[in-house]
Amino acid sequence: MRMTRKISSMLLLAAAVSFTQCKDAGDDVQIDDENELITSVTLKFTEEGTTNVQSFSYKDADGDGGNAPTAFDTIALKPNKTYTLAIELLDESKTPASNITEEVAEESDEHLFVYTPSPSTLLTYTYGDKDVNNYAIGLTGKAVTTAAGLGKMKVQLRHQPGSKNGTPGPGSDDVNLDFNLKVQ
Amino acid sequence: MHTVLTMNRIVFSLFLILTSFALRAQTSDCACFVKGVVKDQHTGQPIVGATVLIVGKNSGVFTDENGRYELRNLCPGAYTLECRIIGYNPFREKLDLTAGHEENFNLEEQEVHLKDVEITAHRTDAPSSQPLSTISGADLDKTRGQNLAESLKGFTGVTSLQTGSSISKPVIHGLHSNRILIMNNGVRQEGQQWGSEHAPEIDPFIATRLSVVKGAAGVRYGSDAIGGVILVEPEELPFDKALSGEVNAVGFTNGRQGVLSGTLQGSIKGFKGFGWRAQGTIKRGGNIRTPGYFLDNTGISEKNFSLAAGYRNKGFGIDVFYSRFDTQIGIFSGSHIGSVTDLLSVIENGEPFVKSGFSYNIARPNQNVSHELIKAETHYHFQNGNRFQWTIARQLNDRNEFDLHRPRNDSIAALNKPELTFKLTTLTNDVIWDHKPIAGKLAGQLGISTLYQYNLMDGRPLIPNFNQFNIGFFWMERYVTNGWELEAGARYDYRSLTSFRIVNREKVSQDFKFANFSGTLGATRNFSEKFSARLNFGTAWRAPNVSELFSDGVHHGAAAFEKGDATLKAEKALNTIASVKYASPKFTAEIGGYYNIISDFIYLKPQPEPILTVRGAFPYFKYTQTDASFKGIDLSANWEFMKHTTVSSKLSYLRVYDRRNDNYLVLIPANRIDNQIKYELPEDAKWHKAYFSIGNLFVAQQKRVPPASDFLAPPKAYSLWNAQVGTTFHVTEKQQLEVGLSVQNIFNVAYRDYLNRFRYYADDMGRNVSLRLKWKFGAYD
Repeated sequence: MRMTRKISSMLLLAAAVSFTQCKDAGDDVQIDDENELITSVTLKFTEEGTTNVQSFSYKDADGDGGNAPTAFDTIALKPNKTYTLAIELLDESKTPASNITEEVAEESDEHLFVYTPSPSTLLTYTYGDKDVNNYAIGLTGKAVTTAAGLGKMKVQLRHQPGSKNGTPGPGSDDVNLDFNLKVQ
Repeated sequence: MHTVLTMNRIVFSLFLILTSFALRAQTSDCACFVKGVVKDQHTGQPIVGATVLIVGKNSGVFTDENGRYELRNLCPGAYTLECRIIGYNPFREKLDLTAGHEENFNLEEQEVHLKDVEITAHRTDAPSSQPLSTISGADLDKTRGQNLAESLKGFTGVTSLQTGSSISKPVIHGLHSNRILIMNNGVRQEGQQWGSEHAPEIDPFIATRLSVVKGAAGVRYGSDAIGGVILVEPEELPFDKALSGEVNAVGFTNGRQGVLSGTLQGSIKGFKGFGWRAQGTIKRGGNIRTPGYFLDNTGISEKNFSLAAGYRNKGFGIDVFYSRFDTQIGIFSGSHIGSVTDLLSVIENGEPFVKSGFSYNIARPNQNVSHELIKAETHYHFQNGNRFQWTIARQLNDRNEFDLHRPRNDSIAALNKPELTFKLTTLTNDVIWDHKPIAGKLAGQLGISTLYQYNLMDGRPLIPNFNQFNIGFFWMERYVTNGWELEAGARYDYRSLTSFRIVNREKVSQDFKFANFSGTLGATRNFSEKFSARLNFGTAWRAPNVSELFSDGVHHGAAAFEKGDATLKAEKALNTIASVKYASPKFTAEIGGYYNIISDFIYLKPQPEPILTVRGAFPYFKYTQTDASFKGIDLSANWEFMKHTTVSSKLSYLRVYDRRNDNYLVLIPANRIDNQIKYELPEDAKWHKAYFSIGNLFVAQQKRVPPASDFLAPPKAYSLWNAQVGTTFHVTEKQQLEVGLSVQNIFNVAYRDYLNRFRYYADDMGRNVSLRLKWKFGAYD
């Protein structure tokens, strides 16, 4: 009996000792570059027949939270003009910044950009690209302004893996920004 | 040596054997007496200082140094004998000193052996003046196959916080997550409890008893026991008993879910004092169906097992226990939203955009969670009544959460890594000393608890890594005198927390220190045989958790931007809880009222301006502190209004108020009433425990919510009907088969519950028919 008790106590002690081999959570903190963020969205408008490129950006270099967005430009366009609209997405929280536009282009059959001006009379958008299933993508397209006015343009990136059908409905937003739009 | 064991007995739970109620009577005058011995089944040692009393009579005695007690001068009649020891759930046994034994009374003066009564006086360690509800045996069997929180929903004052149908967290008196504590087999469960979609990682099949201690119990249990404590307790190991076991099989039509669980236990011939148990559970289910549609990707796959072994010799005992819980849960894909626009459009649509049929497949988004517990416990009962107990345990909680979308970058996507990984390791040590009764009236317990914890986080930044250390000292005493039972206790806790995170690509560490005194004061009064009352004042505390300190981002399930505050103080609760109980053979009623004031209550306060992210503007919430009051009533009643037919009602009523801001608080469970009528067939040679019951649950609409606090008003009231039928077949003397059939939501009502986080997206579960089989064999029980 006494023997058993002694053995048991020793086992417990051994277990207790093994438990104290603790790890320090501080040693394990590291920068994780495998997470994908979209920290900047840039709309590039090129007036037809010219090489004038106007860029309007949303930038929040550290992603959601932390510091507030550093840029959220007002889109300023001229009335009754035709523009080529290209969009660029970057993850600038990494060094070097990673280009999300390329990754969207590679997986264009899962993505759809949606440009919605309000009021809708301000601008008309026409898609200029198609994915393998012949559905629009919106990486490049044409924007035609009409009369002068003030409003907004909603820019959405719909992530639609397995459900892309050419409409904005399926999937969820990866980008959803309301840029101010000024046509004058 | 077999090491295929399981279900170690909870450290704290002893069994007592109250040997031979002997009684003696001359004629029918008041000269009957009851005497006996209270023994510890662990050891066979007599228990010194247990209280034995006749309920309703102001007479109680302590057991002497040989565990003996004697109650004299009883008139013939029916009595209830109660046995209590500090921290034990009071055990009651009915004694009939007239009917059926009358002849014996007329015999010569001699001891008449009535029967051997095995008392399962489980030690719960909660103050005995606090309400304790327990579910075990046939009632627990009816919940088999469900998860832990669902199994507890039968208690008044207990509801659940759900994420769909497969993730449920228990809610006691409106409090959940880090404000309640789960003691799994005597060890405080440490997972990532702060998350509203993080269910407790416990297989209910491990337990043969599930109990809920309502109210603040911070003195005995330490941090987090603000709303109450849930005790998950396995059966005592079968020391020196023959091989036995049980197999449970449960099938549910909704989700086409099957659950299979088995237990095998016994001892080893020639190795006296040894017992072992092995237990395992497999669960597999597919997409859940609401009355109108299937919910895509709501399957579940779970594999759990546990092993236990123990040894007893006289006053000495040692138990070791290992359990592993492993689950993979699909999260309804229609609940993934990117922006507020996404959420508003699914709310407007009234049903999910994602349509689905039935499938067992679990795809992204999903959670893979495993939880490992290894525990060793040893105790020694000294001859003089003192008792020493030491428990050490190590838990490893490994939580992996996969988002709906894989990373766009192919090489990263190919790794198929979870977007969130948390690895939480917890080491606990508890040393408890029960001192022998002083002057035969005062019994008590002293203890020291330590906890060391570290969290390793990987993936999307959500909560920081941290190291945490906690030490607590407590002391509780109980005084028993005529008809009264008084108890008091105090505790001191100290906690230090160091967090490590990356800010602007630099490692930042921060230190936090918290300290707290807790106290408890309680009284129990037995007015008469049928009528008793309890009153308890208790305090408890909780240090802010890392998510409250450091959250900084969009909570996608809630479409809210949540920001932590590193200056938060600890929360403190002062809980007053009173209950009155009336119990007669045909009618039982218990009414309890509570008033829990939580100062510096941490909650998410809406901010006036939304916060802008690349996915648009999100409503902005900051973790803030206020003073909150939780007032409520729990009412339960049973009435056998006709022979074999019982009607029972349970009412849970709760009002919560934010006292600093003169407002209500969000996410408080709605009031509800549950009514059942049950018909039990008389026992005969063929039918054992056969019953039929039908019931209704009515849940009111939660109207006490802060104005404009939510995207959607709380769902309407709902009423659900259910029915059960069951019986037990005695196959042979040592084999029993229990069969039960039940239907939940009989009329396939479409409803949503305010505390289901999917209420924005989809209806709750539709009709669900389940069949339960339980086969018991060997010397079980």
